[in-house]
Amino acid sequence: MRVQLQIFLGTLLLAVTGVILVVVGFTEEERMARFERYQKAQAIEVGAALFEINCRGCHGLRGEGIPGLAPPLNDAYFFTERLNEVGWQGSLEDYIIATVSTGRQVSTRPDRYPGAGTPAMPTWSDRFGGPLRDDQIEAIAAFILNWETTAVNGVELATLPAPAQESDDPVARGQAVFEANGCVGCHTIEGVSSGTVGPNLTKIGETAAERVDGLTAEEYLRESILTPSAYVVEGYDDLMPKNFGDTIPADDLADLLAFLLAQK
Amino acid sequence: MLKSLNFAEFRQKARQAIEQRVRIITAGLSIAELRALLRGEPPTEKPNPRYRVHVTSFLFHIRPKFYMRGSTIFTHTFRLGFFTMFFFVVELMTGLILMIYYTPSPSEAYGSILNLMSNVPYGKLLRDLHRLGAEGMVIFTALHMLRTYLTGSYKKERSFTWLTGVVLLLVTLFLSFSGYLLPWDQLAYWAVTIGTSMADAAPLFGKELNLLLRGAPDIGAGGLLRFYLLHVILLPLLAIWMISIHYYKVAREHGISLPAKFEEDDLPKDVVKEAKRRVDYLPDLFTHELFLTSLGLFVLVVLTAFFYSAPLENIANPQQTPLDTKAPWYFWWLQGMLKLGDKTLMGIILPTLIFGLLFAVPYIDRNPYRQAYKRPIAVALGLLATLAILTLSYMGLPEYGIETPAAARIIQDLAPEEGLGELRAVPFEQLRPGFYQVNVDEPANLCPELDFGCPDLEAVFAEFSERVNRAAEAGQLPDVEAVLVIEEWQADLVKVTPRIVWSDPETGVQKSYERHIFLHRDRDRDE
Repeated sequence: MRVQLQIFLGTLLLAVTGVILVVVGFTEEERMARFERYQKAQAIEVGAALFEINCRGCHGLRGEGIPGLAPPLNDAYFFTERLNEVGWQGSLEDYIIATVSTGRQVSTRPDRYPGAGTPAMPTWSDRFGGPLRDDQIEAIAAFILNWETTAVNGVELATLPAPAQESDDPVARGQAVFEANGCVGCHTIEGVSSGTVGPNLTKIGETAAERVDGLTAEEYLRESILTPSAYVVEGYDDLMPKNFGDTIPADDLADLLAFLLAQK
Repeated sequence: MLKSLNFAEFRQKARQAIEQRVRIITAGLSIAELRALLRGEPPTEKPNPRYRVHVTSFLFHIRPKFYMRGSTIFTHTFRLGFFTMFFFVVELMTGLILMIYYTPSPSEAYGSILNLMSNVPYGKLLRDLHRLGAEGMVIFTALHMLRTYLTGSYKKERSFTWLTGVVLLLVTLFLSFSGYLLPWDQLAYWAVTIGTSMADAAPLFGKELNLLLRGAPDIGAGGLLRFYLLHVILLPLLAIWMISIHYYKVAREHGISLPAKFEEDDLPKDVVKEAKRRVDYLPDLFTHELFLTSLGLFVLVVLTAFFYSAPLENIANPQQTPLDTKAPWYFWWLQGMLKLGDKTLMGIILPTLIFGLLFAVPYIDRNPYRQAYKRPIAVALGLLATLAILTLSYMGLPEYGIETPAAARIIQDLAPEEGLGELRAVPFEQLRPGFYQVNVDEPANLCPELDFGCPDLEAVFAEFSERVNRAAEAGQLPDVEAVLVIEEWQADLVKVTPRIVWSDPETGVQKSYERHIFLHRDRDRDE
C-alpha cells in the first residue's frame, strides 16, 4: 500500500512538474525578448553614466557638442547624414564603436571641430591603450544611438523649470561657464577638471600677471581666451578654439575670468 | 502442416523468450516479480530474487539491501543526507548543460551568461536551478551534519564516516564558492577577491597560495580559468570520491544509525524487535527514494519557475570596488570573525582549528552514549557552536561594524550600486521631472498631472527626507540641504540625482555628496 501510494504520488508530482515545464516553455520566447529589452535598457543606463564621466568634456553634457571643439552627437545630421559624409559602409553603431575605440588622429572637419589637438580624439578602447573595455564602449554606443528618437522624430523632452539657485558668486558662475564650454576637456584645474592638452590652470590666478609684460592678469586671460594664438605657452601647440568670442556671452566671460583669477 | 501450428505452445515459447530477456535486463527479476514489486507485494519466488539484484547489478550493488525500520523513521534523519545527494545530482545535470553555453574567459564569460538568459530556451530556469541547488546543497549538508551530531551518530564504527562527511562539507563549500566567480559580475569578482586575499594571510606560503589560486596578482583570465577547472573537474571528482566512501559505509557497512532509544533504553522486546525489522531496498526504500526525488524536483521547479531568480549584477569591474561587498552567506561567519581581529589569526588559524575540531569530534568525544540527556555537555557545546556561527554570520553583514558616512549611506540604501533598491523599483511613469527639495516639498501629491499620482516616488522621497532629517538630528549632517532632481535625459531615459549638502561637524567646511542614476523605461523592475 505504502509502495503504491508513493509511486502514485511520485508520478503525480512528476506529471505536475512536467506540465509546469511545458507552460514555462510556452512563455520562454517572450521572456527572452523581455530580457533582451532589459539588457539594452541597462546598456543605455551604463552608457549614460560613462558618457557623463568620459565624453561630456568635449561633446557636451547632453551630447550637444561644443563649437570649435567637438561635434554634436544628438542632432538629426549625425543620424541621417554623417555616414554618407565620411563614406562609412557599416551601421551607425559600428561607426560609433570604431570611432570611440580608436579615436581620431585628425579631425574630419578641422575648420569647425578641430578637436583637442593631436590626436583630435583620444583612443578609448583598452586594446589601443585607452581606459575602457569593449563592453563599456558598446554601452556608450547604445546610449548615443538612443538620441535618435529626439534627433530625428522630433520628440521634445521636458525642460526642467530650474529653481532660483543662480549663485550671486561670480566665481561659482564662472566655474559653470568653464565646465559648459569644454575648457575641462583640455585644461586641468585640480578638483575641477583633468585635461592635459592645454596648460594646467590650477594656479593661473597667481601666474597670469607675470606671463606678459604690460598686461594685467585679467587682460592676459581675456586676450588668451578671445585670441588664443596671441600668447601660446611654450611646449604647447596652438590648438585652442578661436571662436570663444562668438560663443561665450560677455557676462559669462566676466564670470569665467573671475573664476580663473580665483585659482591660486 | 496445420497440425504442427500449436498456438498454445507458440505462446508459451514466446512468453518464455520474453521472460528470459526481461530477466537478463532486470538482473534476475521476472515479469511477475516486477509486478509484485510495483504493488508492494511479497516476493514471488524463493530465494528472494530481490536480493540477487544487489549482486548482479552495479547500481543496486552500491545501494543497501535493507535498512532497519527504526532508522528509517522520518523524524530521525529528515532525509537530509538523501537530499544533499539529490542536490549534488541536480548540480551535475544542470551544470553539464550550462557548460555548453559558458566560456571561461573574462571577455566572454559575462556575455555568455547574458546570452544564456536572452537566447537559450529554459536558460534562465537552468541557471536558477543550478544556483538554488547549490544553496540547497550547502544548507542540507550543514543540517545533515547538525542532525548527525545531535543524535550522536558519529560514534564507534561511524567515526570515519563522520570524518569523510566533514571533508564533504569542505568540498561542498569550495564547490559553491568556486562557482561563485564564473558569471564574472561585480558580486562574484569582489567576493572572490576577498576570499582569495584570505589565502594571502596564511603563514609561510600565503603569497604563493594566493598567486596559485588567482594565477596573477589580481584575478583575471588565469584566475577565472583556474576557478572554472576547480569547479567543473577537480572538486566534483573529489566530491564523487568522498561521497563514494561516505555513502558506501552507510549503505554496506554500518547502515543508518538506529534512534538511540532503541539501543540504550529499556524498551519492551517486541518494540525493539519491530525497530530492528528489515525494510528491504526493493521495493520500499527504492520507491521512497523515487518519491523523494519527484518531490524535490517538483519543489525546485516551482521555486525557480515562479519565485527565485539567481542574482546577476553588472559586469566585473576591477577598477571599481562596490560600497557593500559581501561574501556568500555561508561565509558570513568568516567575515564576522575577520572583523574581530587579525587576518592571519581570524581568517586562517582559527578556521583551521575549527575544522580540525570538527574532524576530531568522534575521537575527542569518548562518551559511549548517544541520547541527548546522557551527553549534556556535547549537546550544549553543539548548540552553542550553532549559535556562535549564527551570531558571527550576523556580524559578517556589511550593516554591522562598518561606518559609512551618513550621506553616502542614505543614498546607497535608496539606490544601491548593485541590485534594485527602492528608487529603481519606482515605475518609470512616476519618475516625473522636477526638483524635489527635502523640507521644502511635501512628499505628497508630487505629480498632480498623473491620474493616479506617483505613490512610489512619494514613498521614496518621504524615505529620503526622513533619513536626511534623522541624520541631521543625530548631528551627522548639520545645516543639511537635500534635493532629489529628476531630469528627462533622453527619450525613455531619466537622470535622477539625489544630492545632500551639509557642513562638516568638525571643520564646518561645506561638503556635498551626490550620485547620478540613469533609469530607462525598459529596465526590468521586478527583478
